[in-house]
Amino acid sequence: MPALRRLSPLLWLGPAIALIGLVVLWPVVVMVQSSFQNISGIGFVAGYNGTANFRTLFDDPNFVSVLVRTVIWVVVVVSITVLISLGLAQLFNQRFPGRRVARWALIIPWAASVMMTALIFKWALDPNVGVINVILHHIGVVKHLGSTQADWLGNPTSALLWMMGVAVFVSLPFTTYAILSGLQGIPQEVYEASAIDGATSWKSYLRVTLPLLRPAIVVATLINVINVFNSFPIIWEMTGGGPGYQTATSTIFMVDLKQGNVGESASMSTINFLLVIVIVVVYLAATGWKEQVDR
Amino acid sequence: MNKKLTSRIAGGLALASAAALALAACGSSGGSSAGGSSGGTTTLKLVVADYGTGPSNTSSKYWATIVSAFEAAHSNIKVNVTTIPWTNFDSQVQTMVQNKNYPDITEGDYFSNYAQDGLLYPASDVLSDPSNLLPAFKAQGTYNGVQYGMPFTTSSRTLFYNKKLFTQAGITAAPQTWADVETDAAKITKLGDVGFGLPLGNEEAQAESLLWMLGDGGGYQTAGKYTIDSPANVAAFTFLKGMVAAGDTEPNPGTVDRTPLWEQFAQGKVGMINGSPALIPIIQSANVLTSADWTSVPIAGKNGPLSVTLGVCDNVAAFKSNGHEAQIKEFLDFAYQDKYQLAFDNEYDLLPATVTAAKALSSNAVFAPFLTALPNSVQYPSDTAWANVKTKIQQTIGTAVTGTPSTVLSQLEQTATSSAS
Repeated sequence: MPALRRLSPLLWLGPAIALIGLVVLWPVVVMVQSSFQNISGIGFVAGYNGTANFRTLFDDPNFVSVLVRTVIWVVVVVSITVLISLGLAQLFNQRFPGRRVARWALIIPWAASVMMTALIFKWALDPNVGVINVILHHIGVVKHLGSTQADWLGNPTSALLWMMGVAVFVSLPFTTYAILSGLQGIPQEVYEASAIDGATSWKSYLRVTLPLLRPAIVVATLINVINVFNSFPIIWEMTGGGPGYQTATSTIFMVDLKQGNVGESASMSTINFLLVIVIVVVYLAATGWKEQVDR
Repeated sequence: MNKKLTSRIAGGLALASAAALALAACGSSGGSSAGGSSGGTTTLKLVVADYGTGPSNTSSKYWATIVSAFEAAHSNIKVNVTTIPWTNFDSQVQTMVQNKNYPDITEGDYFSNYAQDGLLYPASDVLSDPSNLLPAFKAQGTYNGVQYGMPFTTSSRTLFYNKKLFTQAGITAAPQTWADVETDAAKITKLGDVGFGLPLGNEEAQAESLLWMLGDGGGYQTAGKYTIDSPANVAAFTFLKGMVAAGDTEPNPGTVDRTPLWEQFAQGKVGMINGSPALIPIIQSANVLTSADWTSVPIAGKNGPLSVTLGVCDNVAAFKSNGHEAQIKEFLDFAYQDKYQLAFDNEYDLLPATVTAAKALSSNAVFAPFLTALPNSVQYPSDTAWANVKTKIQQTIGTAVTGTPSTVLSQLEQTATSSAS
């Protein structure tokens, strides 16, 4: 019986491990395998072709700019999200009439399908009849409807800025809630102690709140980095990566490649996967994640 | 205590086996649906494009009529119809094929790739009289000397213009040359409308581009070889770049799709646009322009109107994978009857694909000019590289009118030659 007892945890962990193996690890294996195969646009495998897919990918004139844009996209979206969320969480931690309703309302961008949100913004930005442009026209910012100025999503720079805005908008609820729960975990006594020591509210925020929030911020940032890096529906719906590939991130680029060359597309996925791992490891090392969690 | 533990283990085992059963059940249901035949009844999977402009005239209605008549006459064959909008039709069908979830009958530009991998029945196996298909599209549907792609509907392109805006701008003659297009577009732009609608976005950039290439004697191929970066094509895009820079088109043509721009034309906000007969129902349903307010003329070329135009067909293809040869033949013979051809053309203002149906329509005032243009129409390449080239054209050719035309076109040429090898 003792032998059985020692094995019994495996029984409980087994299904979960099997599930992870089936839906996480196995696809990774297939992805890496595909990236070394010659697979036509209609899915037929014509054997292994070494590093040919990677060489085609690296030779693509759009590859480097797509990677650079992906990094900018992740850094800008995640840092703005976390900054705004810090403020929002502070606000929602205060007592005020209607707080319960306001907290519920914050969930909406999270609960709504991202594709739906992206489509609504796309339509609202229509150069001729979009509601955002109509309002901007009425207050005199947009001179003529249907003009180049009103075509926000047609110009790569303004399109990226708008899409970053949408990405921040849909990332705020989760991040705010993560930080809010961190705030609620900070005991009142530390604030009393710092007040007795004569700390101003700004000082106590910097010296007490932020350090104690660190674990929450680390986790929230990490999950956001992974989400935003792989973010697909916003760009796909709003510009499709166009004009050309001038607003495409690596995920969009990968999907587009899949139309013609599944192997090359798998190479892009593999590089994406490695990049996410590297970013996460670097970030964890830089924030001293182990000490935070082991405490 | 031990008893408790064993009962827990038993519970866990029960749960695990239930999960395993559930997984197995998913697997088997996925497997059987691919076969599609049980108890003597065969289910055909028909995946077709939607030509409708909205729920009122969606193509699923058109096919439902055929299918219910067909099923009434053939009790042992059921037909499941999936309609997908043209904008992402190819990629959705391609995903089905990539996942080995084969339709029985579909359409689209990938037929030569499917034929290359031996996935298709030749037209002669699934149609009693393939010679009734319009001969103009026979070469386009042929891979390695055998016809696989069958036209079900066809169309040709003309230049539509808004006569009302032309009068307001003081233009009296129809545009015939690039220079006409440029000066007329500038005059209409001054009125505050879009001079020339240039849809170079993903939806159908390959059609708009080809119409301009033809204007200067260019095209995607010369004698079967890709020549996308030929001097004639570069000249065409340099001309377009000038028009875009002058503001004579809608802003950022590389991001604008055909359908929304056709709708804008129907709203009377666009001076000129290249269109197919399918634009006519959009104009009619918008109810802004009367039939006296617009007209269509041959596509403008560099030095005069084009004598050839782009002819497009949908290339119906029948998949071998589910082994439904006899049933597919029954269905296609049924669906290709003249009455259904004519019903389709009347519904969507497109052109027929069979000789007998074309004969029946040849006296119709609306269709006759388009029909006479069909025999000497230019078609897209039909080699196996085209599917990939087309995707790249759709994604990138729009940047040629804002960036450097020769760079963009030579990148496309490179894609074409490396896909062709």
